[in-house]
Amino acid sequence: MSSPPAQRPNPLHLLAAFGSGGLLTLMVFFNGEAGRHGGALFSSWLAHGTGTVAALVLLALLWRRRPASAAPGSRAPLWAYLGGVSGAATVMLTSTAVNTPLALAGTLALGLAGQVVFSLAADRWGLFGFPRRRLDLRDAGAVALIVAGSLLIILFGMGSAA
Amino acid sequence: MILFVFYAVLAGVLVGLSRQLNGRLALSTTPLVASFWNHLVGFGLLSVLGLALGNLLLPGAGDTPWWAWLGGPIGVVFVASGSWLIARIGAVNTALLVIGGQMVSGVALDLLRGAPVILWASALGVVLILAGMALTQRKG
Repeated sequence: MSSPPAQRPNPLHLLAAFGSGGLLTLMVFFNGEAGRHGGALFSSWLAHGTGTVAALVLLALLWRRRPASAAPGSRAPLWAYLGGVSGAATVMLTSTAVNTPLALAGTLALGLAGQVVFSLAADRWGLFGFPRRRLDLRDAGAVALIVAGSLLIILFGMGSAA
Repeated sequence: MILFVFYAVLAGVLVGLSRQLNGRLALSTTPLVASFWNHLVGFGLLSVLGLALGNLLLPGAGDTPWWAWLGGPIGVVFVASGSWLIARIGAVNTALLVIGGQMVSGVALDLLRGAPVILWASALGVVLILAGMALTQRKG
């Protein structure tokens, strides 16, 4: 397996992930605004379209020759191109669930559970071409703290739950 | 109701699956190339779906403010960063740290725009999340 060895998060990873979560908040807010005007399907379609254009622009700006270190013959399997299918399905499921008695809080809390369980399984068995990672006690503690804090905010902190 | 609970959990599973697939693609290309394919494939699928259902452009769509178009470009950076992170710190750490960042910034955004916030629960939640994030950093 030629994958880079997985490490513990360092401060750079922490910053990138935390910032990425902040971007997600903005993204949900902007896409929600588009959805309010044109519906969930339009919102997701618009985001994927403008995203495709933005990615092309960024690639053109950042274009460099392929680094010599890129191992020849390490072509991605075809299924690795299907992330967008999974992402598009997510939007449809979420926008359906939000408009049921689950509401936003229930949808977020259950989605959080699905995400955590999937990531635990992915690391445990090394799914989809990544190395296995075993959780130690400290990792488990971090999982418990972040999940508890998130559920507290979703179920009690958001004003709509009152 | 059980069906909608299943939908909501499945949506979370698919978020993780998407990151795993894009992360695998980034191993063979770059995170930005993986993000490009993610958006192009999603755009194609949603275009076909929208044309088949005939409800892609509802009357209000044209009233979408220009800044709401920024969701797509932000998503490009979001997908690229997730693909970069998962190969380095694994699926669990990536998912948890991104969720933590989303929750804390969500509370900040709600406070900024005056949305109703139950302060004690949000503050305690933020403290727990920050403690969990700090725990991932300690040298063992």
